[in-house]
Amino acid sequence: MIGAIALLCLCQLAGEIIHRLSGLPLPGPVIGMVLLLGWFALMPRERPTLSAVTGWLTAHLSIMFVPAAVGLVEQGPLLARYGPALVVATMISTLLTLIVAVTVFRLAARRIPAKDEAP
Amino acid sequence: MSAILAIPIFWLVATLIVFEGADILSRRSGRHPLCHPVLLATPALIGLLLATGTPYPAYRESTALLNFLLGPAVVGLAVPIWKQRRLIRRLAKPLALALLAGAATAITSVVSILWLFGAPPEILASAAPRATTTPVAIEMAAQLGGIPALTTAIVLCSGILGAMIATPIFDALKISDFRARGFSVGISAHGLGAARAFQVNSTAGAFASLGMALNAVATCVMLSLIALLV
Repeated sequence: MIGAIALLCLCQLAGEIIHRLSGLPLPGPVIGMVLLLGWFALMPRERPTLSAVTGWLTAHLSIMFVPAAVGLVEQGPLLARYGPALVVATMISTLLTLIVAVTVFRLAARRIPAKDEAP
Repeated sequence: MSAILAIPIFWLVATLIVFEGADILSRRSGRHPLCHPVLLATPALIGLLLATGTPYPAYRESTALLNFLLGPAVVGLAVPIWKQRRLIRRLAKPLALALLAGAATAITSVVSILWLFGAPPEILASAAPRATTTPVAIEMAAQLGGIPALTTAIVLCSGILGAMIATPIFDALKISDFRARGFSVGISAHGLGAARAFQVNSTAGAFASLGMALNAVATCVMLSLIALLV
């Protein structure tokens, strides 16, 4: 259990260090995620405890962004001014992304057979 | 009373209790996207802050533990990606193409529409990662000079909307491939879209989780490249 938590935090720390040293605009935790993927590729084996810890974190993600969301209390003037624009932009963008991604996947899957189906 | 409010753990406890109440209501609604616990808990907590005259920085400090957990949770997204590695290898090209097209569409559409409305850079930066899962979006927006609170609100709205419109849209487009449907809703509407996809079909759910996790990386890389170039 502690080992799994240490691995996650270690990856984040390494990600933050890379972020600071390289000036890469990628957030430290995202670099950490890529590092953890690399670690899995180097050391492929079952990790039930790590899966349990990450599963617990993912299942309770919602409450973790409440503190950030409550920060809207400070954004009244901005919301009053750009609220409608934000609503319109979010709606159109969500719709467009759904349509583009599903269309590209369908076209590509039809033209490129899945690897195990190839002759 | 103000002495009690100033106890460091006070707002953490208040947040846990309010969220648990919101979660119970959300469960009673059958997890309807409009009854998302964050959507119910946030206004309630904002009301409490205003009623007690508590400044946001004090609240933020008291609830720092919850915010801190976001980092390890983001790192942990590697686990679902790794578990789907066979699927990724088998469908590499359609997945990669849909991911690139979807991530690029999500970023460019929201940013260009807001730009047309004359929104300032901090709003563009807050909205640019709108299609990624909230913890990643918060980190990315902060990197770009956005406002994390605004990002959280935009990302939640994207997820709620995506979860609600995906099935009618795909039915209207006559797309019955649950791999394509799931993957797209994961790219456009992250965890909320994936939760909805699991209600519809288990294949769609698996592809939606994959779309969410891969888009977290793809969007961050694209935005970082843009940030380096601009």
